[in-house]
Amino acid sequence: MDKPTSTSTKGRVRIERYVRTFVGIVISAFLLWRVYNVVVLQHSFGADTWVRFGLSGLILGGMYALIAIGYTLVYGIMFMINFAHGEVMMLGAFGGFFTFEALRFIPTPTAANPELNFLNAYPFLSVFLAFLVGIFISSMAGFFLEKIAYRPLRKAPRLILLITAIGASTFLQNLAMLLFGPQRKNVVNPDILDRGAGWIVSISGKDVLISYTGVFSLALSALLMIGLYIVVQRTKLGRAMRAVALDKNTASLMGVDVDDVVSKTFIISGALAGAAGVMWGIHMGLVNHYTGFLPGIKAFTAAVMGGIGNIPGAMLGGMLLGIIESVGPAGLGIDFQLKDVIAFSILVLVLIVRPSGILGEKLSEEKL
Amino acid sequence: MRSSALDKGIRTGVIFGIVIVTMFLIGFTVAGAGLVGKFFGASSSYSTPSLVYFVIFMILIGAWAGSSASTRPLVEADTFKYAATTGVSAGLISGLFAAVIGFIFGTLSANRIDPRTYLPSVSPESIRMFLFNQNALTGSLMLLVLLTASGLAGAALSFFLRNSDRVKSGARKASDSVSGIVQSQRVSSVVNNPYSRYVFLFIVAAVLIVLPRTWGGYWNYVFGTVGIYIILGLGLNIITGWAGQLVIGYVAFFAIGAYTFALLTAPEPHHLTWNFWLALGIAVLVSALAGLLIGLPILNLRGDYLAIVTLGFAEIIRILLKSDLMTPYTAGPRGIRDIAGPSLLGKSFLSDVDFMYLIILAVLVVTFLANRLQNSRTGKAWYAINLDETVARATGVNAFTSKLLALSLSAGIAGLAGVLFASRNQFTGPDDHALMVSINVICLVIVGGIGNIPGIFLGAFALKGLPEILRETESFRLLIFGVLLIVMMRLRPEGFLPAKRPELEKASAQNTLEKEAQS
Repeated sequence: MDKPTSTSTKGRVRIERYVRTFVGIVISAFLLWRVYNVVVLQHSFGADTWVRFGLSGLILGGMYALIAIGYTLVYGIMFMINFAHGEVMMLGAFGGFFTFEALRFIPTPTAANPELNFLNAYPFLSVFLAFLVGIFISSMAGFFLEKIAYRPLRKAPRLILLITAIGASTFLQNLAMLLFGPQRKNVVNPDILDRGAGWIVSISGKDVLISYTGVFSLALSALLMIGLYIVVQRTKLGRAMRAVALDKNTASLMGVDVDDVVSKTFIISGALAGAAGVMWGIHMGLVNHYTGFLPGIKAFTAAVMGGIGNIPGAMLGGMLLGIIESVGPAGLGIDFQLKDVIAFSILVLVLIVRPSGILGEKLSEEKL
Repeated sequence: MRSSALDKGIRTGVIFGIVIVTMFLIGFTVAGAGLVGKFFGASSSYSTPSLVYFVIFMILIGAWAGSSASTRPLVEADTFKYAATTGVSAGLISGLFAAVIGFIFGTLSANRIDPRTYLPSVSPESIRMFLFNQNALTGSLMLLVLLTASGLAGAALSFFLRNSDRVKSGARKASDSVSGIVQSQRVSSVVNNPYSRYVFLFIVAAVLIVLPRTWGGYWNYVFGTVGIYIILGLGLNIITGWAGQLVIGYVAFFAIGAYTFALLTAPEPHHLTWNFWLALGIAVLVSALAGLLIGLPILNLRGDYLAIVTLGFAEIIRILLKSDLMTPYTAGPRGIRDIAGPSLLGKSFLSDVDFMYLIILAVLVVTFLANRLQNSRTGKAWYAINLDETVARATGVNAFTSKLLALSLSAGIAGLAGVLFASRNQFTGPDDHALMVSINVICLVIVGGIGNIPGIFLGAFALKGLPEILRETESFRLLIFGVLLIVMMRLRPEGFLPAKRPELEKASAQNTLEKEAQS
């Protein structure tokens, strides 16, 4: 009816998109120029350093990806940001830490070494047990979080869910601080997974250490991601999850138990976060109540970057974020203290330029 | 019938058992006993409280478990047998949990193993108190008996309070007499008298003028903090309560205000010693501008993004303030000292009483502003966006501009609070602006009553004033806030003093429509 008005609003939307693209191009061009300056013209670091940064970025990225999948799964199904997800990961890290500590005090003397403990006598079994315990604790945390805090609010406005999630995050973080104390705890690995040990590769005349813990973490996170993809794409549960993500009401009419699917989604996302937490402990070596907070927010950034609600997007976003975060400070020639700033700046940048993320489909206004 | 009662009792018992075990592991049993002691007038706050108070504390918990297990049954008859079964089973099960954990730790400490390597809150004193100064076996058995008995007592108490005619009629009489007084002619004539309002305002003004002079520096400090949090709460309420967009990193704007003001007035690191009022104005403007800039790219996306982006922004600000990169400009982790206080006509006001007056003045100004905003056209636009953004847009509200205005107003008010905070402490550092401040503010807005100005006052007094009085709970404060947020969202999401929304207009419009249809 009112043709001029509708075209004018359309025009405004288009102008806004142009402005966004323009701002994005300007910022990206500036960043590229800066990277070019630092990397090529000044030549501050050799190839070995870049390889080292890239490797640590890949390893970090694997963990971010695992946590980001949890955000994306929950977001896809409930349209909520599970703010306490980082804390779930932290609980998993503590699970791994305490398993190692407990196994360290089980003496299993052999003839050759009378002071041997269980941790070093059966290192593979110990690591397996640590992952089992960490995953169990985290998935239970996810399960009870959903059951106690989120389920009664299924029909409540989004703001209320988000505030509940913040409350849960604050609660879990402070509970861990009061239970285990605020100081950082050293995770003592089995001797074969010593953090200093690894393969040494020579790149441009310098030795680069590829640590066993790093390779182990990266391989395990890749395995878990493949496993998750199979679960979501090939199993009955995965089909139910996708159906609920598309439309809850229709799915329940088709005989899908929505409550059950939501519950299982929280268990799966908790399990992945728990695995990431145990890896964090094994690879980084330090665990405290604050361990989950920053990785949690960064993994959310990764999920947004890849396109929230999109599982391959979360994997890609996590990997990218890990690499950018560890290569970024050197590439941009800024202080290494500021690596956390880079992650958050990326979040803002992605939201400015492409709010639906790299792999995200065009989301309707309701989802965005 | 019997099995359902047992079932309910056991379920409640497990929950309370887990709560008791957690309390013991985080050292809250000692703090709780201290709280009980304070209630009964024990003087010392920081020494270990006496055993009697711990016993009372455990009896209270057991009674709570018993009474919450024995609520009126849905299907069965409300008999005493039912109440007693649920109460005893709840007490017994929670007692079992407590006894097992007490026995384990009692045995450990008897064998001289200190659990504090892994569980730092479990001190030998708290274990001894948990077991009533007995050995592991006797102590845990005593715990079991005590909790079972108090579970039964709680169930019986709630049963009799529920079913006794005398209590019922007493309660009805009391509520009748209260409402009678409120509704009586004399009271309503006093309330509705136009002069009584002035008398009330006069009394409030007199209290506000007299109190800061009389109650001394400590209370001025405590209530100054409460005042600053009221300002923060009123500010956050604009964007979260009225426009419905959650901002988690609200502390970022607080930090920007405080730092702008500090850099403009402190002799270090920039040798600028500007006038207090000029610097205050600029600091508020800079914070508001920061809000505007943050809002521009994000506010046309869904609300959750704003929450996370502001959170990231707050972390960026804190990391930048701490980093070496910014140390020459913002004095780094050391913080900025010797920030100016207010001055008027060449006379400077630096005492705690002066600051209290300044904060009271600021609270009044912000309250006035917020009140005017709420009833303005913009306030109604925010309310419309909060209810349904699509509908609001369809009725001609420019949602993006309205939200942007709300965010930058909020940010400006946070900047004002930051100025007052920095100026009163004459110091500001990166650690003053931790995320905890934001969580505190969100919590006080939610608990008091989201979207309601008196509610925010109540929330600030309850969440910032009470913990100063109850110092035993100091280290548990954030834990309690977390629980409070979850519980409030589940039971009473509108807060203790809910906002009055203009539902009446809607209803009357409905009525007129129906009348038209009839005629």
